[in-house]
Amino acid sequence: MANVTTGRPYTGQDKPTHVKGIKEGNAPGNYAKMKGHNPDGTSTAARSTGVHTAGEEPIDPSMPNLSPA
Amino acid sequence: MAVTRERIKPEAGKLVDMSWDPITRIVGNLGIYTKIDFDNREVVTCKSTSSMFRGYSVFMKGKDPRDAHFITSRICGICGDNHAVCSCYAQQMAYGVKPPPLGEWIVNLGEAAEYIFDHIIFQDNLVFVDFCEQMVRATNPSVMDKAEKTEAPGANIHGYRTIGDIMRSYNPFTGATYKEALHMSRIGREMICLMEGRHVHPSTIYPGGVGTVATPTLFTDYLSRLLRCFDFIKSAVAMNDDVFNFFYEALPGYEEIGRRRILLGCWGAWNNPDFVDYDYRHMDHWGNEMFVTPGVVVDGELVTTNLVDINLGIRILLGSSYYEDWVDEETFVSQDPLGNPVDKRHPWNQTTIPKPQKRDLEGGNYSWVMSPRWFDKRTGDHLALDTGGGALARLWVTALAGKVDTPFVKSTGSSVQINLPQTPNTPEQTLEWKVPQWSNAIERDRARIYFVAYSAAMAMHFLDRAMTELRSGHTKVFEDFEVPDEAIGCGFHEAVRGVLSHHMVIRDGKIANYHPYPPTPWNGSSTDSYGTPGPYEDAVSGQPIFEENPQESFRGIDIMRAVRSFDPCLPCGVHMYLGKGRTLRQVHSPMFGEHG
Repeated sequence: MANVTTGRPYTGQDKPTHVKGIKEGNAPGNYAKMKGHNPDGTSTAARSTGVHTAGEEPIDPSMPNLSPA
Repeated sequence: MAVTRERIKPEAGKLVDMSWDPITRIVGNLGIYTKIDFDNREVVTCKSTSSMFRGYSVFMKGKDPRDAHFITSRICGICGDNHAVCSCYAQQMAYGVKPPPLGEWIVNLGEAAEYIFDHIIFQDNLVFVDFCEQMVRATNPSVMDKAEKTEAPGANIHGYRTIGDIMRSYNPFTGATYKEALHMSRIGREMICLMEGRHVHPSTIYPGGVGTVATPTLFTDYLSRLLRCFDFIKSAVAMNDDVFNFFYEALPGYEEIGRRRILLGCWGAWNNPDFVDYDYRHMDHWGNEMFVTPGVVVDGELVTTNLVDINLGIRILLGSSYYEDWVDEETFVSQDPLGNPVDKRHPWNQTTIPKPQKRDLEGGNYSWVMSPRWFDKRTGDHLALDTGGGALARLWVTALAGKVDTPFVKSTGSSVQINLPQTPNTPEQTLEWKVPQWSNAIERDRARIYFVAYSAAMAMHFLDRAMTELRSGHTKVFEDFEVPDEAIGCGFHEAVRGVLSHHMVIRDGKIANYHPYPPTPWNGSSTDSYGTPGPYEDAVSGQPIFEENPQESFRGIDIMRAVRSFDPCLPCGVHMYLGKGRTLRQVHSPMFGEHG
């Protein structure tokens, strides 16, 4: 490290934020576990709402299933 | 390195020191120190300095690699999203994850909007202050008189009868183009926010994909804003061509302003999800499928388009900067994943050791900017590549490479054709950017507006592809991944003003080494260990002076045009305003310059 005289640091050395055992958002399998996500990359109304999901699908099965944000 | 102009040896005692520190209308602490020979009307020497130390490579060590894009986004207050995206590219290589195609198209759309927004605000609100009526009248009154009498060839497109009328529209705060450009840059920002959640520091860009929820409304909202930009872009290109061609005519020899040897680097932009897998071993292949081709142009010749060659050729020289050498420090990466040796001066192996000291412009150290160079293995030279303000290198490499072929943008091998669709106020238009004769201030500035058109046209292609994904019902925008204990990664991208690379080494699941290299360290670098000046220094040294003002009221407009053509951006230090005129500043010499 540099040979520079500096004052007392305001903070300590950063540590990685992750603690072992805590669930990570990026962990493999997370995407599939979430409701409404199909394995082929498509999705259903269940990704947008938990209420009456069966009634919220497209009226024509040939339409893409594009649930709202 | 070969110098492009014959230098006139000045007579002793006739040199005048002129310095601009800090240079205004840019981000950051850039100082330009020159010696001018007023008798011969020539800049004799130039030194480019930065008086600010950032230390990202120092404090990134030990952090969770998944935080890298959030932290490095803060490097810049205008192109932070370029850093975030580049960091995600590096992380994706390290984690071995490829985002779903729709995620990639969303990133590309966000970055296209960034190029549109940033180039417009810099060109029309900052660069053109140097070309506006008020400035030209103050520095070259005879040129302004001529402009008032010169008909504008593109009047049928932009509606301004004379060149003088165009220049008047560039006047800051009052000119019509100045005000309209502000509005356009706001629309560009809105487009970025749609795709990346927030501007400047995106909130929905992650390694593995994006958090943006893809819906038809998202893309139609983007499209409606993009279409509003096209009318402005079509007339802006015509106005730019008229003004820049007029300067060549009105001031014979003006091509010498900011001219340097053609040494351009472009690291490529917008990955193509049909090809990219973020595997270093295939980087040559997927790099060549990018929608802006990566490459290096030396003396007008395209030397390589291979990202592996580009990566291995990067050398960080200490030059005249305030750092200690790292030869005795650890070598993190001795071989790349293809088995090629990695140099000790490569960013993967760099250790930043700051050594603050007094500025010495006479043969000593004078800048916090190191000297990034590209090693040309054909000649053994360490080339001081510049980015041409970003747009010039991108268009030049893409034009020569002849690889980009989309319905809206096509590279011909010597030019780039850009098809702009019909929009409410203007018909369909095809633009062609041709490889210019010079790498100089005017061509850097001209390329910028052509690249805005390029980005807008390319955004139409990205929208088409994204909507195709969506219509097939594919809504997945994120891929899971695990952070490995040991890995390396590199990301190559184009910040708005040029080349951008992030190099990362992960050990024990933490960052062991991280080095972002944005464009301005390349452009604003100090004279290196081999005595090669940095691009600003090279471009300004030896350039003639066209300003009509005498020495007493000299504004240095030609020097400013040369430096600003590179789109300088040395991200600024923090000043805090506490109200009632009291400003709290932490000053640690020499960070704020000689006069700080």
